[in-house]
Amino acid sequence: MPTTRMRRPLRRALFLVSVAALALLTFATASAQSGQPKGITDEARDMHTLYVFTLVMAVVVFVLVEAALVYAIVKFRKKNDVLPAQTHGSTIIEMIWTGIPVLIVISLFTYSFIVLRNVENDPNPAAVVIDVTGFQYQWEFAYHLDAKGANLDPDSPPTITQIGTAADEPILRIPVDEPIEFRLKSNDVIHSFYVRDFLYKLDVIPGRDNRFTVTAREEGTYIGQCAELCGLNHALMRFQIEVMSREKFNEWVASESAAASPAARVP
Amino acid sequence: MATITLPKAKGYERPLILDWITTVDHKKLGILYLYVSLFFFAVGGILALLVRTQLAVADNTFLSNQAYNQIFTMHASAMLFLFIIPIWAGFGNYVVPLQIGAPDMAFPRINALSFWLFPPAGIVMFSGFLVSGGSASAGWTAYSPLARTLGTGMDLWIIAVAMLGVSSTIGAANFLVTMFRMRAPGMTMFRMPIFCWTVLVTSVLQLLATPVLASALVMLFIDRNFGGNFFDPNGGGNAVLWQNVFWFYSHPAVYIMILPGMGIISEILPVFSRKPLFGYKAFVFATMGIGGLGFSVWAHHMFTTGAVLKPWFGFMTFMIGVPTGVKIFNWLGTLWRGSITFETPMLFALGFLSMFLIGGINGTFSAAVPVDFALHDTYFVVAHIHYVLFGGSVFAVFAGLYYWFPKIWGRRLNEKLGQFHFALMFIGFNLAFFPMHLLGLDGMPRRIATYNDYNNWELLNFISTLGAMLIGVGMIPFIVNVVQAFMRPKDQPNDPWGANTLEWWTTSPPPVHNFDDTPEIHSERPLFDLRQGSPGGH
Repeated sequence: MPTTRMRRPLRRALFLVSVAALALLTFATASAQSGQPKGITDEARDMHTLYVFTLVMAVVVFVLVEAALVYAIVKFRKKNDVLPAQTHGSTIIEMIWTGIPVLIVISLFTYSFIVLRNVENDPNPAAVVIDVTGFQYQWEFAYHLDAKGANLDPDSPPTITQIGTAADEPILRIPVDEPIEFRLKSNDVIHSFYVRDFLYKLDVIPGRDNRFTVTAREEGTYIGQCAELCGLNHALMRFQIEVMSREKFNEWVASESAAASPAARVP
Repeated sequence: MATITLPKAKGYERPLILDWITTVDHKKLGILYLYVSLFFFAVGGILALLVRTQLAVADNTFLSNQAYNQIFTMHASAMLFLFIIPIWAGFGNYVVPLQIGAPDMAFPRINALSFWLFPPAGIVMFSGFLVSGGSASAGWTAYSPLARTLGTGMDLWIIAVAMLGVSSTIGAANFLVTMFRMRAPGMTMFRMPIFCWTVLVTSVLQLLATPVLASALVMLFIDRNFGGNFFDPNGGGNAVLWQNVFWFYSHPAVYIMILPGMGIISEILPVFSRKPLFGYKAFVFATMGIGGLGFSVWAHHMFTTGAVLKPWFGFMTFMIGVPTGVKIFNWLGTLWRGSITFETPMLFALGFLSMFLIGGINGTFSAAVPVDFALHDTYFVVAHIHYVLFGGSVFAVFAGLYYWFPKIWGRRLNEKLGQFHFALMFIGFNLAFFPMHLLGLDGMPRRIATYNDYNNWELLNFISTLGAMLIGVGMIPFIVNVVQAFMRPKDQPNDPWGANTLEWWTTSPPPVHNFDDTPEIHSERPLFDLRQGSPGGH
């Protein structure tokens, strides 16, 4: 009698757990399919590979442990009043299951350390330098280029400056296949410069000189957004980033330079 | 034989309310902690539903940006500072003295002081909604210099958190002295119930970390009100300094928020598997390991500042996965070859096990620094923290409530309603938080009041909102269950579960002085030993 009374809630619980596990597995597979964008920079591709490696390890550990859990729940449910063997532990087993996680995390760390060294580039003197200034609540992008698109001294005043507004999200334009150095500045609070398809963000911190270099490999328009809560309209600090061929980029620089020149400003 | 019948001596009875306000009994204070923190759980939950309603569809205008920032800030602040941390103090207060066979905490009046700092702190924090500029709105992390620029609500938040800090610090000292000095004869440290061990390690963390938070709060208060510049670079300060001091407290605080939950699970799994906890000592050392490592990983919240030594903090963060893994394996080892039954506390414990596992695994993504560059401050991190603190801590809270309810209130909660509650919460939880992984991977930043739909974030957000609503609905059977239980008479025996530890030796609920006597203690399971008539040990 007690056993049949126990069984029904038990079966229901088991059904529930297995349905949830199945749903989670489906989700996990789906996320492997479309979870993270592959990224459009050299650096992003390295980081994405590391992500996939971590994901595979995670799914394997998840499936093994959840399977063991479900197996234990099904197999070792109470069948009679006999007290099970009172095992208090096993030093060997403890050592094994301490050792295995140690190996897993050391391998993950080693790989992530290598990727970290690869993606944190030294400054490249050939890079196009763009000053990115975060302010409450938009971005200013300033390019150090002459009218033909060639690099100028980054310490000289910028030749093209775009200031975004919430209604008019700025479009940051960069040439493909070239190193671009972003120099991040803020004069008010902390922001974070985040381009989803770079798979990268770096905080824009007042009083701190943060910069990074990437090389984009795919033309197209991508989204960017402030990723550090910066106050009232944090959600509206969106921008776009357009990766284009060098020719198109030069054309754009020329037209902007003409528009910005004193002659053009005369009404 | 002549007998003289003496009139029964009548104790001085205080009016009920005065009795609860002036009590120094650890059990009554524990109950007060549970009531008040569950109240703030409800408040925080309602705030969460407002957040999820706002995010259910793209470009929503249900909440203004200002209201949204206040509400998500107060959601997190209530859940962390006014629910999770104090509810462990509640369980600890009620259970620890009983589990070690003590009549009360070491310092009952200090214990009352710890509690009575807590409700006023909640009132101070929430009174921010009444002042101009509204409540705190810089997130529960209160990053500076943003926190410096906000209205009076921010000062109220600082004062409230500082009050709670004092409450936990003196509470932690009280727990430590109680456990070091007041154990029953025969109860060596390694015969102490595992829940007590987790409260012990938690108390050490609180004692070491909370003063650092207090100093950070004082500096922020000076910056805001007395012209200080600790965190403002425009006056010579350093914006990253806040993050260092804040996380030096707040990362250990994450373990403060989960370790007692692990302790509760480690009490429940052995009882309903009818086996001892597998690897008791390994579990104790793993708990200490998590506590120790917890102090060396704070800067993994700061990889994208570019101002910290990334490989070091990445490595230490990976390492903390090892003792966490050991614990999960020990729990599985406890189930293995057991004789398992599935009363409601066990359902929640198994729910904890399966969900906390995910919270552990998805944390490793952020330990891999280059992966964290993409995931940091996105919804992936929101998913992670909820798998740890909801899938972990909140499931443990309910496991503990169902488990100790008969002891605390002398009545047992209904199993059917309990199963229903568990089912709704388990499904709702996964619906609410699993999609957040995908949103984060797809680049949705956290803490944004609105998003537009060119990102295709709407569907997953909508599912997440439905899940959150389901969690809310899931609380109805729980409330009905509790109300119905209170309408029944107290009928529970000393030990309704066939449990192991000393709190089940005394009556349900226990008398004021807890115990008339304590049995001989030969292991961490004195009641099991008594039932079997043999000294245990391991």
